[in-house]
Amino acid sequence: MIEFKDVSKVYPNGTRGLSHIDLTIDQGEFVGVIGRSGAGKSTLIRTINRMIDISEGSLTVDGTEVSSLQGKSLRRFRRGIGMIFQSFNLVTRATVANNVLAAKVPDLPFWRVLLGWFTKKDKLDALEALDKVGILDKAYTRADQLSGGQQQRVALARTLAQNPRVILADEPVASLDPIMAAQVMGDFKRINQNENITILINIHHVELALEYTDRIIGINGGEIVYDGPSSQVTKEILDRIYADTKEERKVTA
Amino acid sequence: MKNAYDVLFPPQTVTLANGHSVTKRASRMPVIFATVLILIFLSLRLTQFNVSILVKRGNQFFVVLAQIFQPDFSYAKYVWVPLFNTIQMSIVGAFAGGVLALPFSVVCSSNINTNKMVINICRLLLSILRTLPTLVLALIATLIFNLGTFAGTVAIAIFNFSMVSKMMYEHIETLDMGAYEAMEALGATRIRAFISAMMPQVMPVYLSTCLYSVETTVRSASVLGYVGAGGIGLVLGERLSLREYYHVGTIIFMLLGAVFVIETVSRYCRKKLS
Amino acid sequence: MEDKINRMLEKQPQHWKTQLAVLIGIIALLGWSGSAIEFRGISARGPAMALGILNGLIHPDTEILFSLTVDGVPYLILETLAIAFLGTIIGTIIAAPLAFLTARNVTPKPVHYTMLVVVMLIRTFPSFIYGLMFIRITGPGAFAGVLTMSLSSVGMLTKRNAEVVEDIDRGVLESLGAAGCTGFQKIRYGILPQLYSNFVSNMIYRFDINMKNASVLGLVGAGGIGAPLIFNMNSYRWNAVGSLLIGLVVMVLLFEYISTRIRIKLARGF
Repeated sequence: MIEFKDVSKVYPNGTRGLSHIDLTIDQGEFVGVIGRSGAGKSTLIRTINRMIDISEGSLTVDGTEVSSLQGKSLRRFRRGIGMIFQSFNLVTRATVANNVLAAKVPDLPFWRVLLGWFTKKDKLDALEALDKVGILDKAYTRADQLSGGQQQRVALARTLAQNPRVILADEPVASLDPIMAAQVMGDFKRINQNENITILINIHHVELALEYTDRIIGINGGEIVYDGPSSQVTKEILDRIYADTKEERKVTA
Repeated sequence: MKNAYDVLFPPQTVTLANGHSVTKRASRMPVIFATVLILIFLSLRLTQFNVSILVKRGNQFFVVLAQIFQPDFSYAKYVWVPLFNTIQMSIVGAFAGGVLALPFSVVCSSNINTNKMVINICRLLLSILRTLPTLVLALIATLIFNLGTFAGTVAIAIFNFSMVSKMMYEHIETLDMGAYEAMEALGATRIRAFISAMMPQVMPVYLSTCLYSVETTVRSASVLGYVGAGGIGLVLGERLSLREYYHVGTIIFMLLGAVFVIETVSRYCRKKLS
Repeated sequence: MEDKINRMLEKQPQHWKTQLAVLIGIIALLGWSGSAIEFRGISARGPAMALGILNGLIHPDTEILFSLTVDGVPYLILETLAIAFLGTIIGTIIAAPLAFLTARNVTPKPVHYTMLVVVMLIRTFPSFIYGLMFIRITGPGAFAGVLTMSLSSVGMLTKRNAEVVEDIDRGVLESLGAAGCTGFQKIRYGILPQLYSNFVSNMIYRFDINMKNASVLGLVGAGGIGAPLIFNMNSYRWNAVGSLLIGLVVMVLLFEYISTRIRIKLARGF
């Protein structure tokens, strides 16, 4: 369970990335975060695995206060949270299987990491993860030879190999064409339902968000302006989320 | 941008018939040219450059050269061992220097190491090591480690270390950090993140750089022997001072052969890497 | 489903054979090379030497470091720089026609290959050999140093300048011809500007290298900061060694900085 209590993020130059966020997300929810560019969607997501630090308030994940984590405890915490990036962030020269195996790196002894010698169990886990996203047959192809949608699936398999409780996705389909985007969103939905993993997607494509996610959080100017089921999102609500407020202008300035 | 030059030699303004005008700064060339000429003149005086000596005794050079080009290959059997020593020193030195350079270059890379002070100290150290000619390093090494091939190897290792480190950290800083970010997000330490995400990108360039450093080393390593740091240099210098130019020719040609082989192999491997 | 995955695992690429071969190759190479390296142990006076040098660096002989006489560090640096400077210029002058003879787009194939061999030959002669040979003509001193630097620069300069010539943009020549220029004018306005800044850039690059090489020429008696350095090292005069080393490092760092700035300006245009 992820809980934000009066969380704010203020940047050194004074701009408010997040303002008094109160939010609770239960295990197994599939949430889409929408809003204008610079509204704070990315900031919100990245505070959860502490890629960005919060300035005020309390942010807990399954009871652990995120800002209290340091070094080793932070790393162990991050192993339970998967992250998907807009640009896939794969090791392009490596095979698909080796990319997924990267998820095992934090747990292995150093010499195995240095030589790239993974255990048989790790390799089987990686292949299973690839199978869950439907690209088992590409396991030994070089990553840069795949299409965008396939590469994002490899990234998804990599996070699945971590056995995470939460997956954060920062604009996962922004670089994909509509067909691939729909496929990847379908993958997210399937994983959310089959594995009961909480999924939080930062997405600027509203239709996809409404179609696939269960719950929508609308952010404008670093504040939550809507938090409810995606089925109940109306045009008025969308206008409110995407409104060009004075504060919004200050954030994006 | 106004500066002293513009005051002394004011820019020219050209005005066209339609009233538009353009200003052209006076060319710096005359001053640059004059400065270079003055420097040349001063240098000629400083080094006591004397053309007449060249003219009078210049043919000596060609006499020696002609003898060098008639190598006496019966001498070859004395050359193999020292020549191989030079090559062996270069390989071990380049290997040792290269192996140490990789982790050190990671420390010097600002995109992985966030501690600015450490980075500046390390880069300063590299700069200083690079300015010391290999020969000076070899001399110091012979004083500390005794005459012989070990001293030469140490000197070569240090030189290669500084060269490869510099080339590597400059390259690492241009790399795409995406996969590295993903590794940090899934809980890997910085070192492991580097090994898993960046090494595959870095490896081809690293190996290519190491091979290149072996190439350049073998050439300059021949001189190390002259100061007693092992290799062919000692024999070469000896033969020269004894005026045994035919033997000098032998050595030069065998050196040429060795360098040619090494360069060809190295070039082939480097092509395969890219 | 388990089956499918197990079958996929079996298909994994078997790199271990090539990895093993490469590993054995490297170990063999290192083993053979390493056999030549005899570690004679640290010399009995080794640690004392190291300490001496460190001491000399921290307490340099300020007399010679700042003195303006012929024995002083500043004069030696100037001498070294002069040797490198003249050597580079003369080397460039000699290399210019050779570069054209080596460039693939200007000369016939046989000439090109002959030149490659000639250049390789010139470069194989270690510079200290040139030094000893020239000392026979001019006697020891900076003059021999200049000649040595010139000849040893020719190799690299020819190679790099030949590359510059090969990279000439012919399009410029075409447009000049279309505007009605004679052959000479095409060279003057079309080719020379392209070559000029790159040749100068190569010259500056070589100057940096020559600076370092000139400092060690003193070893064979060809002038520069090398001779007193060697002399003082062999006499264990660490303070003097310290001063000379400091002078050397400062000179190289300073001029590397200056040359980099100049080369950037050349690339961007004055």
